Amino acid sequence: MDEVLSRDSAAVEQLPAEIFKPKPARAAPPSTLGVQGWVRQNMFSSIPNALVTVLGIWIVYAFFDTILTWAVGNAVWEAENRRQCLDLVGRSGACWPGVIAWIPNLIYGLYPKDQVWRINLAGVILLLWALPLWLPRVQSKVQIGLSLVLLFPLLASYLFLGGEKGVIWSALIALGLAGFLWTLLTAATETISGLSFGRYAVAAIGFGGDNDPARRNGQIAALLALYVVALIAVQAMSLSFVATRAWGGLFLTLVISGIGIAFSLPAGIVLALGRRSRMPLISMLSTTFIELFRSVPLITILFTFNTMLPLFLPVGVEVNQLLRAIVAVCLFSSAYMAEVIRGGLQAIPRGQYEAASAMGLGFWQSTGLVIMPQALKIMIPTIVGNFIGLFKDTTLVSIVGLFDLLSMSRAVGEDTRWLGLFLEPFFFITMIYFVVCFTMSQYSLNLEQRLSAGERR
Amino acid sequence: MTDAVRGEPPVEMIGVNKWFGAFHVLKDIDLRVREGERIVVCGPSGSGKSTMIRCINQLERHQEGTIRVHGRAYGRDLRENDAIRREIGMVFQSFNLFPHLSVLDNCTFALTWVKHLPKKEAEDRAMEMLTRVRIPEQAGKYPLQLSGGQQQRVAIARALCAQPKIMLFDEPTSSLDPEMINEVLDAMVELAESGMTMIVVTHEMGFARKVADRVIFMDQGEIVEEAPPAQFFDAPRFDRTRLFLSQVL
Repeated sequence: MDEVLSRDSAAVEQLPAEIFKPKPARAAPPSTLGVQGWVRQNMFSSIPNALVTVLGIWIVYAFFDTILTWAVGNAVWEAENRRQCLDLVGRSGACWPGVIAWIPNLIYGLYPKDQVWRINLAGVILLLWALPLWLPRVQSKVQIGLSLVLLFPLLASYLFLGGEKGVIWSALIALGLAGFLWTLLTAATETISGLSFGRYAVAAIGFGGDNDPARRNGQIAALLALYVVALIAVQAMSLSFVATRAWGGLFLTLVISGIGIAFSLPAGIVLALGRRSRMPLISMLSTTFIELFRSVPLITILFTFNTMLPLFLPVGVEVNQLLRAIVAVCLFSSAYMAEVIRGGLQAIPRGQYEAASAMGLGFWQSTGLVIMPQALKIMIPTIVGNFIGLFKDTTLVSIVGLFDLLSMSRAVGEDTRWLGLFLEPFFFITMIYFVVCFTMSQYSLNLEQRLSAGERR
Repeated sequence: MTDAVRGEPPVEMIGVNKWFGAFHVLKDIDLRVREGERIVVCGPSGSGKSTMIRCINQLERHQEGTIRVHGRAYGRDLRENDAIRREIGMVFQSFNLFPHLSVLDNCTFALTWVKHLPKKEAEDRAMEMLTRVRIPEQAGKYPLQLSGGQQQRVAIARALCAQPKIMLFDEPTSSLDPEMINEVLDAMVELAESGMTMIVVTHEMGFARKVADRVIFMDQGEIVEEAPPAQFFDAPRFDRTRLFLSQVL
């Protein structure tokens, strides 16, 4: 075999082979190693470089010195009104008491004070729901993630809105609650035994073998029982109605951007696939939608939805103002997301599709299992970039009369006690925006590194 | 495969024609592959040899003629087409392993998602196939952590996991460093010795001479010459074949 396979067996006379000895590797020069080496190489390698370094350090120092003197050094922390602040330090220091007094409104808007616990509860539920995604022993992460995106809004909408709930809405709220309970139980049972809640329940009662149909029915029964429990709990719940007009502040910003983010990713995936579809009608419709929404500023879309939509609807049908803004934001962001995802899809070599279809996988299987995971992973930085953009773009809803974080902060300076206090609230919400966006971008970096850990050489 | 179709040739191409736009890539291809036969297809680049074997599992659709696999012809029914192509394993020039899955998951992929085998069974079979191509120890790694030769052997193991009746190789060694070509060829020789029906597009004439039952030479979309290797290499009939052999040998 070797004889046949050997490639060039040129007939050169063979001398006894000399022995090849690789040279040992030597240590790198010490001046290029360590902190000192790094500083010398990167900051003071030449005279112009050293000058730029010194100038840069001075600018950074001057900037932070000014900011910190204003925000901390000369700041006033206790005062009755803005007048007192001005009397104490003039404009050389920040006047924080106004912001502190307004913090509840900046966060919750005009939501009734005695009902604010509902928002906090929803926040806690959200965290608990998402927590299992980071627990190492939990296996049903995909299901938990999906339930979070699909079912949490059902539960949260009732917590936020309250009021009369009909039969259908009750059933949906119960679905949300059941999803939450299932997540908690599954996280617990999988951590203990490696079995999801349904399997665990069946195993606990003690059914037969792996392929026993009774087992499957048992799992379904366990899930149904969970749903019934949730339904009873929902029937027992009764929350007072809070109109969306009272929603505001950081809470409203998070609601709008949260829904926008949760909606835009799946919608973007569908649109991107639609645009690449071989079926002309689907491709044309997707392309038209994407190009239409991408070529118009968000603010125009918000205005259109807010003022023009009622003109097209029959008299008496009124769509909630918040809902109008949310729909506008969702459509706008999914058009952008579609283009991001299309970019990711284009980066996947043709061979991947071919390998999948050579195995006998159909379109949806190859797309869902082979192509999309890779495309989304490549696009994580851009996707998160879009999320961040969306989070900040929600400030535009203030134009159509919603009191998001930005409009709320403007209201501080219109309060008679704190008249003209604009800079401090802006500084405060800048910090909030920075923390949220920076967290998102750091998380995306972290995610990117973890997901590609095994794939580098 | 049921008994009814045993005896039908594994692959049968009758009057197959294909165009890329206006360009006629395959001209009246007739080919009958016998059970257990090893066929090597060679020819200059652009001769249509890759397109031909890609038609056999319908990665390319032909416009005229019939292609039957174990007696079942490709047609308009996409499910039937998928079912037919599951009898065929394919190894590509650029490996086409799934980079987001480990070597083991690459191998169990079709078993899990197409054949719906239980995890344990799928992994056992994957390990068996990885052992067969002599890289069971790489099962936990990701494709991009392996050398080209190793990746191609994983690709062979992955194709074998689905227990195909026919294996197609589309220039399996053409993107490998010279030092890695033999490890892939060895795996292919081992496979040939086990009696697998194989159609191999390759420029490895040593492999053709040793393993092939029949060598097919293609040029300009046509099958110019087909002959057993001894005759093909030592006494080719056509001047075109002689010119080609003088350039590659």
